[in-house]
Amino acid sequence: MEKITSPYKWGMIVDLDRCTGCGACVVACQAENNVAICAKKEMAQGRNMHWLRIERFWVGEYPDVRVRFLPVLCQHCHDAPCEPVCPVYASYHNPDGLNGQVYNRCVGTRYCGNNCPYAVRVFNFYDHEHAWPPPLDNQLSPDITVRPRGVMEKCSFCIQRIRRAKEDAKAEGRLIRDGEVQPACAQTCPPEALVFGNMADPQSRVSRLARSPRRFRLLEHLGTHPSINYLKGGGREHV
Amino acid sequence: MSEHAIAEKSAQQLNDEMLSSMCTPTWRWYGLAFFLGAVVAWGLSAFAYQVMTDMSVTGLDRPVMWGIYIANFVFWVGLSHSGTMVSAILRLSQANWRRPILRAAEAMTVFSITIAGLFPVIHLGRNWAVYYFIPYPNQRGLWPNFRSPLLWDATAITTYIIGSSLFLYLGMLPDLAVVRDRSTGWRQKLYAVLAMGWRGTAREWVVFRKASTLMAALIIPVAVSVHSIVAWDFAVTVIPGWHSTIFPPYFVIGAITSGVAAVITLMIIIRRIFHLEEYLTPLHFDNMGKLLLVICLLWSYTYFVEVQTTWYAHEPIEWEVFSFMSGKYTPLLIIMLIGNSVLPVTGLCFKKVRRSVRAMLVITAMVNVGMFIERYLIIIPSLSHKNMPFVWGTYSPSWVELSVTAGAFAGFTLMYTLFAKFFPMVAVTDVRELGHRHADIRLGRAEVHSITEEEG
Amino acid sequence: MEALGTFSDVETANRAVERLVKAGFAEKTITSLTSAPYPDGVLVKTDQRTWFRWMSLGGGIFGACAGFLLAAGTAYMYPVQTGDKPIVALFPAGIVTYELTMLFAILGAIVGMFLEMRLPPRRERVYDPAIGDGSIGISVSTTSGSESNRAASIMKEAGAIRTIAEGNP
Repeated sequence: MEKITSPYKWGMIVDLDRCTGCGACVVACQAENNVAICAKKEMAQGRNMHWLRIERFWVGEYPDVRVRFLPVLCQHCHDAPCEPVCPVYASYHNPDGLNGQVYNRCVGTRYCGNNCPYAVRVFNFYDHEHAWPPPLDNQLSPDITVRPRGVMEKCSFCIQRIRRAKEDAKAEGRLIRDGEVQPACAQTCPPEALVFGNMADPQSRVSRLARSPRRFRLLEHLGTHPSINYLKGGGREHV
Repeated sequence: MSEHAIAEKSAQQLNDEMLSSMCTPTWRWYGLAFFLGAVVAWGLSAFAYQVMTDMSVTGLDRPVMWGIYIANFVFWVGLSHSGTMVSAILRLSQANWRRPILRAAEAMTVFSITIAGLFPVIHLGRNWAVYYFIPYPNQRGLWPNFRSPLLWDATAITTYIIGSSLFLYLGMLPDLAVVRDRSTGWRQKLYAVLAMGWRGTAREWVVFRKASTLMAALIIPVAVSVHSIVAWDFAVTVIPGWHSTIFPPYFVIGAITSGVAAVITLMIIIRRIFHLEEYLTPLHFDNMGKLLLVICLLWSYTYFVEVQTTWYAHEPIEWEVFSFMSGKYTPLLIIMLIGNSVLPVTGLCFKKVRRSVRAMLVITAMVNVGMFIERYLIIIPSLSHKNMPFVWGTYSPSWVELSVTAGAFAGFTLMYTLFAKFFPMVAVTDVRELGHRHADIRLGRAEVHSITEEEG
Repeated sequence: MEALGTFSDVETANRAVERLVKAGFAEKTITSLTSAPYPDGVLVKTDQRTWFRWMSLGGGIFGACAGFLLAAGTAYMYPVQTGDKPIVALFPAGIVTYELTMLFAILGAIVGMFLEMRLPPRRERVYDPAIGDGSIGISVSTTSGSESNRAASIMKEAGAIRTIAEGNP
């Protein structure tokens, strides 16, 4: 049985020296991916549906207080702990290097959510139909489903945009160009802290940035080999 | 009861006494069955409410996505080791004192593994799609993922349910024949079918004895593997506090502890209710008490190892999980240590304690309370404080989850109550066999009582 | 065809067996019917060898193949990449193989046991319900109705409470 290969290996750079913690990426992701808007009660219960969260840490004592922001989204690990534990193959590894989540296959054991060390997977505890009463349902993206209750979901690197770009590129008989496909978060980020591209192409922007000495990965000691590289340390380590 | 007393009573008298639980049900029995049925119905309706609404009715959240349902699952699988360990091990070691205890232990195994098997279905977000787990050729182009520990669970539990039911049935075969001979009407027909035409010929007994031994030998590895597989649900993850190689032996030992204690509790209850005082004597409690002492010592050892290695290496996130658990759940932790370790290990050293039915009831009930808490304290604290501190969370079970738990306990007790009414609760023929093997022999100046050993 | 005699205790039953042997019935045609077993030889001597355990072994081998094909075979035929685990993962395949081996070994043992006991019986056989309450039955397999009658009368003389002889019109 031959292994399916792909010329793409999607990756992302998150530049923490540029991130201002504005949260525009969170909103963009919610808008693009039909992520449910959660009520205050849900948030208080720890059942929010954000695919991408900005972790905020306060550092130091008054008056010398600083704040650090860490956007955390699905790391699309090459050795994802969430994939082998799904009993029904709802979580699997895409030849493009993405961690795929198949909503209609998920039976809701939530093992993947437990085993994700970054806790980026969210579970539909509620039936979110009421989140878009008409005419709000007009804002829903037609390229992606609205997930029912009992199903796990998470960041997909806007796979629907990648698909579109692939179709366009194939129609023109070429590969996707660097910068042609942008997930909603990368597209929106004002200081361009989020950069997305093809890591298999050594000349792409992500590949070049990934060679930076500022590079680190989250929870590297667990050996999950995430596709997202974080950059930090532009001379402001005291922050 | 001493072998003397068994040899002196007539077979009919022995039958009458040991099968006394199968008499016409009294209003008390109906009352108990009705009450238990009501609790089961309450649990079922809570579950139905969960299925019809959504999973928000539970106490689960991110990051604690497994809660008391999984604690129940592990607890009931653990309890199912009762019959296997007690019955199979004692059969293989040819310990004569096993005879009155066997049936209760084996029945407990079957019922608890049945209840355990329900929980993986109960805790699903989309329970109606559970058939995705079943490996059959289908048009979806996908088989289930056997790399997942949950599929190992499914395979192991299926094997264990079938194996332990057959083990129970096999042991009951000659007893069912006795009951068939003593009953009339629809009961007679029912038992005649179940007894499969058993007549008790010498040849049938030879094959039966060998089959019992073989089944006992086969069921023990299955039991060990079942709880190891349940332990792997936790041990193969990257979650701090779960990713520990001691989990499989630790869980198996915990299961045996839970099971042996539960068998003793059950023995006390049925002894009282069915007036089996002559058959379940202080000797039996003494021996089971020794077994429980050994296994509680083993549990204490494995728990000590687990905590000590966490403390010594002091890996930050692992130590964080342990200190969170001991800080937030201190009362539960103390009850667990007292119930599983301090009380049994100190109390059961004394013969007086082991032979006292009242003391044994308290000790064994506490052991099982401690074991349930232990399951809870393994699962929830590790999930609450995982690797990323920003998403640390808490969990407390909701009324739905507690109702389903209560329903499970009631369901188990109800199955037992029904079983005691329709099936022989004591291994009648096994106990009577002891009388056949007994003889008083004149040796020198004394008359010694001797028991023939079973053939090899 | 069988002749059955019911006795109240072991000694009377023994006398009957001895008289039957003396009267010419082969020992291997005589067997005891008891609701609780006696040590071998107390009433009759029986062949202790059994063959049903081979069925258990056969079941185990079948289960091992079935388990391996299920876990490794289905993964090979419908490959889906999960994590860095190989498509045919040997540890999980080993676990599933082990479980199914044990399951079919157990099933084989039970089926084999029933086959060797020849239960459930195809035709109605002689039995006395008093055996359930402790009486001891002695049964003689015979080839003709007159032999059954002879056996039954010998047992009656030896003190049987009740006798049944098959094969009489």
